[in-house]
Amino acid sequence: MRGKAYRGLRDGELVELVAQKDAGALEVLYERYGRAAYSLARRILTEETLAQDVVQEVFLSLWRDARRFDAGRGTVATYLLSMTHHRAVDVVRREENLRRWRTSDEGLELEADPKVRVEDEVLTSERRAEVRSALQELPAAQREALLLAYFGGYTQREVAALVGVPLGTVKTRMAAGMRKMKEALRDAGREEQQPWTRQ
Amino acid sequence: MDTPMSHSELEELAAGYVLGALEPDDEHAFQRHLEDCPTCQATVRELEAVVGELAYSAPPVDPPDTVWAGIRRQIKPEARRGAVPGPASTAARQGGAPQAAPGTLPGQAAGGRGLRLLPGLAAAAAIFLVVVLSLWNLNLRDENAVYRNRLATLERAAQLANDPTASLVALNDNPDAPPGAQAAVIASTREDRGVLLVEHLPPLQRGRVYELWGIPAGTNPATSAERAAVFVPLRRTGTQTVQFEVPIQPTTVFAITDEPAPNGSEKPTTQPLLTGSAGTA
Repeated sequence: MRGKAYRGLRDGELVELVAQKDAGALEVLYERYGRAAYSLARRILTEETLAQDVVQEVFLSLWRDARRFDAGRGTVATYLLSMTHHRAVDVVRREENLRRWRTSDEGLELEADPKVRVEDEVLTSERRAEVRSALQELPAAQREALLLAYFGGYTQREVAALVGVPLGTVKTRMAAGMRKMKEALRDAGREEQQPWTRQ
Repeated sequence: MDTPMSHSELEELAAGYVLGALEPDDEHAFQRHLEDCPTCQATVRELEAVVGELAYSAPPVDPPDTVWAGIRRQIKPEARRGAVPGPASTAARQGGAPQAAPGTLPGQAAGGRGLRLLPGLAAAAAIFLVVVLSLWNLNLRDENAVYRNRLATLERAAQLANDPTASLVALNDNPDAPPGAQAAVIASTREDRGVLLVEHLPPLQRGRVYELWGIPAGTNPATSAERAAVFVPLRRTGTQTVQFEVPIQPTTVFAITDEPAPNGSEKPTTQPLLTGSAGTA
């Protein structure tokens, strides 16, 4: 099976094929989420080769043990991007020299979205815009806490040290920020709804 | 976390947990709690979806081709036979169709043509199979091993007819084909298997067999052809079906040659009687 035949399948169906060692199915999943995974890994790691390693590890992990994906727990996109995040954070914590000890003003603020490539899917662009908009709507302190943790790979205690507030405050800010993000994305009709994944 | 925690405390831990930001002791404690708390499990699932969305706020960066190439290299040994895709997407972006190599078979020169997924293939194949069945006039209750084997082939063909990835490839590219000889292949690229349907092939000389080949497009069949099946034509009139297994790519060319009995050849040694490539059905 090739090309269009694969591309007409849902993510979950592709994962089932990957479990049967169908390389074409993995390729289509990579086409769908490789870019998002790599973008995330680059954002966390900045070093290109490490980001490449992480993305390869993520898709090879899916290849080796696709049965670990549990559709009841979320979408394939969430699964892959969550794995990407965990692995990238593991690397950034292991490679201390990569850690960017900086305040949120030095780079963890949202960067301008670069020119969207022509072939970028419209829905993906919309999705990005909605997430960024939801983040911008957060109080600055909550956004800072979320981004330092998510993209910086900092623990709550490290965030507290960086920002200069008590640990309890950081915990509260993260929880509040996540709650508001969830509501904002739900209002945007995005939460758990990923039409472009055809699930 | 031995003492019961409040809802707000658990919510804070859940947020830190999905962000991967908990300290190790908190993380372990929360994981233990999570095992027995459906409420927190649901909360974590919801927040994981939000975290998944956060990934999209990262500035988009295209991964270099080497990333997929590295994945492909590592999965190749485990991938189902013939199921390892090449750098097709890259080739497509570059508009690069494979160049025909010297020694290509008739119909092979347009190597870039892909296996068409024919609309209505399943229905067409099903009708074709009905014809095959009527020609064979099979007594389905016959326990004779020959008929059981033929029945298995028909069942295989019927399965392929229901395979949405199956393609029908007519072996009609060779202008010098023997008069009346007809052949078609139902090929599943997902399974690297197929069924050959052939009729009116010329009788073979003693000590010869027909051999079906799968040949990557644009390559030299003398070196790249893969054996698919060896068969002898039926002495009676009718359509003959032959099961085969061979790596099947989108541009695979199928060919039938006359080879020495009983096992055929490792590579084609004669000019093909019939050839067919993608999109010619």
